[in-house]
Amino acid sequence: MTRTAEFVNGLTCPAPAPPTERIQLGHGSGGKLSAALLKDRFLPHLTNPVLRQLGDAAVVPVFTGEIAISTDTFVVNPVEFPGGNIGSLAVHGTLNDVAMMGAVPRFLSAGFVLEEGLEFAVLDRVIGAMAAAALAAGVPLVTGDTKVVERGKADGLYINTTGIGTLDGPCRPAPHRAANGDAVLVSGPIGAHGMAVMAAREGLGFEAEIESDSATLYPLVARLAGRFGGDVHVLRDPTRGGVASALNEIAAASQCGIVLEEDALPIQGSVAAACEMLGLDPLYVAGEGVMLVILPARHAEAAVADMRSHPLGACAACIGRVVADHPGMVVMRTGIGGTRVVDMLPGDQLPRIC
Amino acid sequence: MCLGIPGRVVEVHDDRGLAMGIVDFGGVRREVCLAYIADRVRPGDYALVHVGFAISRIDEAEARRTFEALREMSQLDELDWLRETADQELREMDARAAT
Amino acid sequence: MKYLAEYRDGTMARGIAAQIRRTATRRWVLMEVCGGQTHTIVKQGLDELLGDSVEMIHGPGCPVCVTPLEQIDKALALAARPDVIFTSFGDMLRVPGSECDLLQIRARGGTVRIVYSPLDALALAARNPEREVVFFAVGFETTAPANAMAVWRARELGIRNFSVLVSHVTVPPAMVALLSDPANRVQGFLAAGHVCTVMGWKEYEPIAAGFKVPIVVTGFEPLDILEGIHLAVRQLEEGRHEVENQYARAVTREGTVPARTLVERVFQLVDRKWRGIGEIPASGLALREEFAEFDAERRFRLGAITVEEPVECRAGAVLRGQLKPHQCPAFGTRCTPEHPLGAPMVSSEGACAAYYNYGRFRTAQPAEAP
Repeated sequence: MTRTAEFVNGLTCPAPAPPTERIQLGHGSGGKLSAALLKDRFLPHLTNPVLRQLGDAAVVPVFTGEIAISTDTFVVNPVEFPGGNIGSLAVHGTLNDVAMMGAVPRFLSAGFVLEEGLEFAVLDRVIGAMAAAALAAGVPLVTGDTKVVERGKADGLYINTTGIGTLDGPCRPAPHRAANGDAVLVSGPIGAHGMAVMAAREGLGFEAEIESDSATLYPLVARLAGRFGGDVHVLRDPTRGGVASALNEIAAASQCGIVLEEDALPIQGSVAAACEMLGLDPLYVAGEGVMLVILPARHAEAAVADMRSHPLGACAACIGRVVADHPGMVVMRTGIGGTRVVDMLPGDQLPRIC
Repeated sequence: MCLGIPGRVVEVHDDRGLAMGIVDFGGVRREVCLAYIADRVRPGDYALVHVGFAISRIDEAEARRTFEALREMSQLDELDWLRETADQELREMDARAAT
Repeated sequence: MKYLAEYRDGTMARGIAAQIRRTATRRWVLMEVCGGQTHTIVKQGLDELLGDSVEMIHGPGCPVCVTPLEQIDKALALAARPDVIFTSFGDMLRVPGSECDLLQIRARGGTVRIVYSPLDALALAARNPEREVVFFAVGFETTAPANAMAVWRARELGIRNFSVLVSHVTVPPAMVALLSDPANRVQGFLAAGHVCTVMGWKEYEPIAAGFKVPIVVTGFEPLDILEGIHLAVRQLEEGRHEVENQYARAVTREGTVPARTLVERVFQLVDRKWRGIGEIPASGLALREEFAEFDAERRFRLGAITVEEPVECRAGAVLRGQLKPHQCPAFGTRCTPEHPLGAPMVSSEGACAAYYNYGRFRTAQPAEAP
C-alpha cells in the first residue's frame, strides 16, 4: 500500500460557488468552459499528481500478477440522500466490486454525464464526497472524463467509475465456489441504502432516521483474506436486488442450495419499519456497505468475530448455510418455523398497499 | 384488504379544515389523515394506518388482553389442555343439570 | 414495531398451531378472504404448521387481482395521454392489460407516478394545474374511505384537474357468491381484518346464520391468523356458526363510522365484474352522480370496452378455492409473475403469485413434520 500512498489525494476547500451558477452545454464542448469546469470544480478536490498531469490517459506503475477490473455506472435518484450522494456511492460501489474478488483496490477512473442546469453547488458536494471517499480508501482517482447533455436527459448527473485492483494473495472468491456445508455470513444490517434513497425520493413522503450504509468494504475483506486466504469461497455485496438476488445468483453459479434463517438476519429497526410501511421485503433492498461471506462452516465463528472487531462489521452474523439440496434455490426458515422460497424478482420491488 | 400498519400519533394539526397528524412507525414518520378518528385520538395513542389514513384507533387494553390470552393458550401443554377441556365439560354438565 | 412484531413470535405460533391440531377431530376446510392474509400464510409457512387439521383455501381478496381487464385497459389508455399524470398504488404497475402494463406505458413516455396515499395524488394535481391528474382508485372497503376523502377534498378545495378511475369491490357479496356455488367446499371463513376495521362486522351476521358458517374477523400477523383459525375450528367442532372477532385491538362491531359515512356519501353500490369470477350484483362502488365530474371514465369519455381473457387461465377455479395454484397445468411454466396469464399471478397477494414466490419449495418437496 506504500506505493499507492504516494498517489493519495489531497483535499482542499473549493472556492464557494454563487448559488445561481449552473452547468451549461458549453461546459462539455472541450473549449474554455470545459477547461474552467475542470480547473474550478474538479481539480480543487482531486489533487493526486497523476490526475493533475491531465494526460489523455493516466500512466501508473505496473504490478505483477493478475488484476481485477470493475466498472459500474451510477444513476441514483435523488443524487443526494442521507448518508451520502451519488459521488461517494460511485467510489464505494466500484471499490467494493473490486474487493469482492479478493483484490486490493489500487486506482479509480470516473466519467461524468452532467445535465445542463445542474447547480455547481451540488456538483461540488458530489466531487467533494468522491474525493473524500477515495482518500479514506487510499485509492487515487487518476483519470476522468466529463460530458454535458441537455436539460432533462440526465437526472442531474450520472457517474461511471472503473476500479482496478491487484490480486496479491491466495484469496480468490468467486460466485461458483460456494460448497455444500459452507456457512453464509453477512457483515452488517441489510437494506439501509435502498430505504434511505426511497425515503429521500419525493412522493412517498416519509421521514426516517435511515442513512445509506454506503462504505468501502476493503478493510473487512483484508481481514478475512489475511486470516482465511483461499478458504474465503465467495464474497458479494448485495446491491441492486438485495441479499435475495445476490444469493440466488451464487446458488445458481455454484449449483448448490442455500438455506437462510430469518431470525438471524440483522436489520435496523427503522429500516424494518420503513419496509413494513411500504410492503417491501428487506431481502430485496440494496445495501452498499455490507457484504455476504461464504466460507467453510468451521471458520464461521472466527470470521464473524473478526468482522465484529471492525466498526463496519459490528453487526456481522451467520445467516445461513449452503446445502446440496434444491440446487440453485434459496430457501428461508421463517421466524415461525415454516419455510419459504426466496426467489429472484422479475423487476424492482414496488411499494404495495395490499 | 391489507397493509394496515400500527403507529403512534406524535402530533395533531389541521390542514384547511382537515384533521392531520404525524404518526411514528417504529422510527419512520409520516403525515397521516386523522379525520376518521379525530374525535377519539390524542398524541400518544396508537392508530392503524392504511394508505395515509388512520382507519381506527388501536385499543391498547384490548390488545393486551388478546395477547395475554394468546400467550397463555400457546403455552398450554398436553396435560393443561386435557385439564381445561375436562373443566369445560364439567361446567357444561353442571349447566345442563341446573336447567 | 409495537402491535406488530409481538404477533410474530415463533414459539407462541407453534403453541397455537399445536392447540389447533389438538382441537380438530377431523380435517376442516377454511378460507382466508384477504390477499394480505394469504401473503402471510404462504410467506411464513403457516400452513405447514397446521398439518392435516386444516386445509386453507385462498380467497379472492386481492383487489389488484380482481380488477377487470377492462379497467386495466382504461388505465393504460389514460396513462398514455400526454395531458395526464397517471397516479397509482405500486401494486398496479405490473398488472398486464390486453397489450402491456403501466410500467411499459411509462417507458414509452407516459407519466406514471407511484403514490402512497390518494391525498398525495390530489397534492400533485394542486401543484400541476396545467396537467390532468388521474388516480387509479382500486381497493376493497378498506381503501374506499381514503379514496372518498380525496374526491371530497378535491371538490372542497376546488381542485378541478383531479379525477379517479374507480375499481372498488366489496367483500360480503363475494363471500355469498362463493357460498352459493354448489361446488363450494369452504366450511368457515377468516374475514378480512382491515375491511372490518372500517365496516365493522354486522353485515357478516346474516351470512354466518344463513349459510351456517363460522366467520372469524382476523388480523394479518402470524399469531392473528393462527388464532383466527383456532377460533374457527373450535366453532366447527362445537357446531356453532357465529361471527367472532379475533382482531379486537382494531375492530369493533360498528367499524369506523365517520369513514363509512363519507364512503356512503361519495360512492354508491353497483354491480361489478370480478376478474376470474364474473359479475357479482351490488359488489362494487362507483361515484355518485353528484361527483360525476371527478369520474375519470366520464371526464375522458372512455366508454365501454370488452376484452378476452387468456383461455388457459384457471383463475376462476383458483379464486373459488376449487384448484390450488400449483395444480394448474400452466403454473410456473406458461404462467409466471413475469408472464402472467391471469389475475392471481399478477399481484404479490394473489394466491398463484404467493405460491410461486414463496411456496414453490414446499409444493415441490414433501412437507417435513413440524
